[in-house]
Amino acid sequence: MRILFGAVLALALSAPVAAQTTTPSEVLRSSVSNFVRPQMNSFAREAETLSSAVMTLCTTPSAETLAEAKTAFSGAATAYGRVEFLRLGPLMEDNRADRLLFWPDRRSIGLKQVQAVLAASETPSLEELTGKSVAVQGFGALEFVLFGTGQEALASAAGQARCGYGKAIAQNIAQIAAALADGWSDPNGIAKRLTQPDPANTDYRDTTEALEALIGVVAHGIENVRDTRINPFLPKDDAKPNPRLALFWRSEQTIPMLRANVSGLRQLVELSGMVSDGALAAKVTDAFDRAEAALDRVTDPIDTALADPAQTAALGDLVVATQDLQQLIGEELSSTLGLSVGFSSLDGD
Amino acid sequence: MWQRRAFLKATGAGFAASLLPRQAFALERNDLVFASAIQTASGAYGAVLMGERGDIISTLDLPDRGHDITISREAGRGVIFARQPGTFAVVFDPDGQAAPQTLTSIDGRHFFGHGVFSPDGKLLYATESDYEAAQGVVGIYDATNGYRRIGEFPTYGTGPHEMLLMPDGVTFVVANGGIETHPDFGRAELNIETMDPSVVFIDRRDGRLVGQLRLDAGLHQLSIRHMAIDARSRVWFGCQYKGSPSYAPQLVGYATMDGDIRLIELPADTILSLRNYVGSVAVSADGSKIGVSSPEGDLLVAIDAEGRQPAVVETLRSGCGLAADGAGFIATSGMGDMIGIAGAERPTQSFDFHFDNHMLRV
Repeated sequence: MRILFGAVLALALSAPVAAQTTTPSEVLRSSVSNFVRPQMNSFAREAETLSSAVMTLCTTPSAETLAEAKTAFSGAATAYGRVEFLRLGPLMEDNRADRLLFWPDRRSIGLKQVQAVLAASETPSLEELTGKSVAVQGFGALEFVLFGTGQEALASAAGQARCGYGKAIAQNIAQIAAALADGWSDPNGIAKRLTQPDPANTDYRDTTEALEALIGVVAHGIENVRDTRINPFLPKDDAKPNPRLALFWRSEQTIPMLRANVSGLRQLVELSGMVSDGALAAKVTDAFDRAEAALDRVTDPIDTALADPAQTAALGDLVVATQDLQQLIGEELSSTLGLSVGFSSLDGD
Repeated sequence: MWQRRAFLKATGAGFAASLLPRQAFALERNDLVFASAIQTASGAYGAVLMGERGDIISTLDLPDRGHDITISREAGRGVIFARQPGTFAVVFDPDGQAAPQTLTSIDGRHFFGHGVFSPDGKLLYATESDYEAAQGVVGIYDATNGYRRIGEFPTYGTGPHEMLLMPDGVTFVVANGGIETHPDFGRAELNIETMDPSVVFIDRRDGRLVGQLRLDAGLHQLSIRHMAIDARSRVWFGCQYKGSPSYAPQLVGYATMDGDIRLIELPADTILSLRNYVGSVAVSADGSKIGVSSPEGDLLVAIDAEGRQPAVVETLRSGCGLAADGAGFIATSGMGDMIGIAGAERPTQSFDFHFDNHMLRV
């Protein structure tokens, strides 16, 4: 099974989006078994690695253990980047999406709250942390702890309190990631309700509803990447870029995170076989190719990249590619499948 | 009727086709009965004005997606508001005599898709977002002077959505949905953990807060968005739940100017079928029935306002638009269907465009 999955993955990543006719039930099953479950498990593993790395940093602070914790941060953050668009089921329980990553933080509420925690005399335990604002619990907060002003103290005993806070955040992330993986693994949980819709279900009653939910999260995931992860920092009317509005600029993970977002969306689209129309599949493949090619052209950290017209233009091309993808998946694909995604439902109005 | 539709489509004319004999004085002659924002089959946005039998009187092109419509006989005008976070509103002449006028929201504000006229038709009010401050405002426009924006007052909350004028003619009721958005981030919801929805009554003469009502603190993720006023001046509202999807709270309730606010108890299967989402709320012509719709759950429910229980439950794929019709309601869908429920006797009709979320009965 594992070998087969690897083969499918290799094939799918090198081939066009999909070419054969696939039934809605197959699309749903493939989505869960080929993408959602393995990627949620991968995120849980990376989050566990991060939690261990921060714990090691706290017990044996040094330049080396700090560097390892930072590397583990990037691994876990990008693993989340591949699945964060799956805003249905377990990720939407208990404010988990916001607890993992409170973003955008328009008025720097999170930053102020994180600084307040760092300035306090008591270091929060995991239990105390989960009772606080979502903004101090997840990747955004941990990034500031590991990469923000004062992070160098973590390499010595002087950073003990700061490290303790970081450890609680990393444990919280690992705990939530494990809950997501467990939720999707549960044979009687969300995976069953999504892949075997039933009128008795509280959420998905038929394949149309399940497919609408699945394609809806893809379409909205693309919209979210564009609206909250790219557009805010691009130059606007005043022609000035704003790299401080980029997610993870401190850790230089802005572009890796975008790459993870696009890659996750692409893998779900490809591995699910949701686009069975050949002509539409070719257009979707082309748009994903353009998005990835644009990201390849951004080679510097985001603040430097935004000072370079060529790299700024590449980010503009990325916006265009995401707009095309939203149109192709949110409108063309859903109308091909007879779904109402992207119009009167699923858009909160 | 098909001839008129064919003609309109052939010319692509919208309001340019103002010489249609029936359209002239449609409002005066009571021909104009229904109005809704639409998306055409080719993906363009617009609005449609319809007669009693679903016959199309005219259509209007819009630059982007519209939301709700308000019409004032006194002003002789209708206004369609852009869907949030849109920045336009189009003032149109239902009789097709005057050219449409496009209003643009001022710097630092966008529309939320809803608004009302004053009883004398001289002022237009619109829910808007002061997005830098994350505060809702009601923008005030002078209908007697080219719809110049002459002021605003606060809605005392974030993310205002529908606003209605109470039967006293001087009090507004506004649903503050509680959700912060900012145009820099599209439609992303920025404060789900800390949202604080409310129903507010505001004196339209001076913007004074008459009263503000909130549900229990445990329901702070229940966004109050759409409303209708019953025969006893109770303000019925429908909510969208933004918390854990495994929890299905009650979604329909009412508020009064005496300071009462409560959710009614709909049966569990009805609540589950609403999918944590009410897309519109309407009241029947006699004020005795409340219609609520869920395009997410494909469900329409007519509730007996006194018994507080569903009188009729029907399914309509992607159904959302609701307006009083006969003894019950007309309902429209994103798939282009129009049906009657709960005592509205009309044949099911299908159109080659998508109805948007709201249907107005003029």
